[in-house]
Amino acid sequence: MAEMWIHMGPQHPMTHGLWNLRIKVNGETITDAVPELGYLHRSVEKIGERRKYFMNTTLTDRLCYASAMTWTHCYCLAAEELMGVVAPPRAQYIRTAVLELQRIASHLMWLGAYLPDLGLITGFLYGMRDREMFLNLLEIPSGGRLLYNYVKIGGVKRDLPPGFEAKAERVMQTLERRLKEYENLYDNSKIFRMRNDGVGVYSASDAINWGITGPNLRSAGVPFDLRQADSYDAYPELDFEPVTNTAAGGGSDCFSRYRQRVDEMHQSMDLVRQALAKMPEGRVMADSVPLRASGEAFRRTEDSRGEALMYLVGDGSDRPYRWKIRSPMFTTVSAAPHFLKGYKVADVPAIMGSIDMCIGETDK
Amino acid sequence: METGQLVQQLTQHDGASDGSVLRSNVGRISITREASHSFFSTLKNDFGFDHCSLISAVDNQTGFELVYHFSIVDAAGQMLEVHIDLPRDTPTVDSITHLWGGADWHEREAYDLMGIYFIGHPDLKRVLLPDGFAGHPLRKDYVYEIHEEEW
Repeated sequence: MAEMWIHMGPQHPMTHGLWNLRIKVNGETITDAVPELGYLHRSVEKIGERRKYFMNTTLTDRLCYASAMTWTHCYCLAAEELMGVVAPPRAQYIRTAVLELQRIASHLMWLGAYLPDLGLITGFLYGMRDREMFLNLLEIPSGGRLLYNYVKIGGVKRDLPPGFEAKAERVMQTLERRLKEYENLYDNSKIFRMRNDGVGVYSASDAINWGITGPNLRSAGVPFDLRQADSYDAYPELDFEPVTNTAAGGGSDCFSRYRQRVDEMHQSMDLVRQALAKMPEGRVMADSVPLRASGEAFRRTEDSRGEALMYLVGDGSDRPYRWKIRSPMFTTVSAAPHFLKGYKVADVPAIMGSIDMCIGETDK
Repeated sequence: METGQLVQQLTQHDGASDGSVLRSNVGRISITREASHSFFSTLKNDFGFDHCSLISAVDNQTGFELVYHFSIVDAAGQMLEVHIDLPRDTPTVDSITHLWGGADWHEREAYDLMGIYFIGHPDLKRVLLPDGFAGHPLRKDYVYEIHEEEW
């Protein structure tokens, strides 16, 4: 049969954001694929060069609407490294707690988006309903539901109010109960397993070479977690080990990526509990944060989707001279053709959905 | 390997200079453009840096500076920052996509936004901006076209 190119996107239910996937098909089988980006490019790096350091936290929030807290946090860490500022201990614990709450919200968003990709619309409603509880929780200290602007250079905007712990505990207990229900529902669903098992397989060594990080790498059995390997904030004082999963035949497939994120939600809830329990008293903002900075610095963090890295160059003025963002999904999407080839057109939503794309951060 | 020891060994390489330790697990080194090809092979094959985190291009007015961040995927989280200076009139450097597949789009992005040419890249074309775009907007001498249209 003659081969031909098909565009999936930029307007396609599979794309979750605006991007285009060109696939070359032979009948139903994919023989080549080319992802095309840029539909949401807002030149965040260039805009950032024209704004003062502390103003950029509103931009970083908008890198990824599903995980705004982690991106602003990564920027603030890099800026703190550049300016030689250290956040007070209480602020570090608060950051750790809200980052993990954000990770759960982001993974629930993924679960809610992934299941309708496979035809399970109910999963969307479940995922969004539970995410709502976490958005309400994050709204308490920050005042925002999606874009928080909560983490600041030198600390956090304001302290957690009294009673936050009890509210968080109630929400997490609810999610734990419901997650058990969902796992029973999905893990034992014949249709869900048929769409996931052995689909979109890549090996651990390939994933490392292609630059895949985060849950997508850990789902191939690599215990690499930047919260532990390049630790920051209160993570060194918490007790945890990276969780991993592997596909039945080795490497990572759609099912192990699903399992990975569900396991990470359980882990995150444990980390939130630890951070809230160990939280010391004190200030939440450093005494003084300079407006100007010179030199260069970078920090990397474990974003909900993988390795986030921000590199800042200062020239002594109050604005960054150069600001470079490493988006985990930018690199992961570039590797997508490798694990799309050989599968059917109907597997594309499953494979691209399972890597948890966020086009906001990919296009910057 | 300790970062200080690592930087010291890497400084022995042809064209390497300015070795220093930035943090306990982060080293920094500069390399000339001519020596970069063999230096990166050594880094990958002999020192085990299996992950290319990021390639940043910086326009420092007189020329360009490429900043590579490499890391090792293990619990120690060892990183190395490599700087290469490029002249303004010929901003070319050897591609590293044959060593790290993940560098592919980072090089395309540096070409797209900063106009750095990577020799040996399999498909060096714009990745974020549309194909017909003129210029490289992250360069400091890039002039904005201001469109004033009546609404």
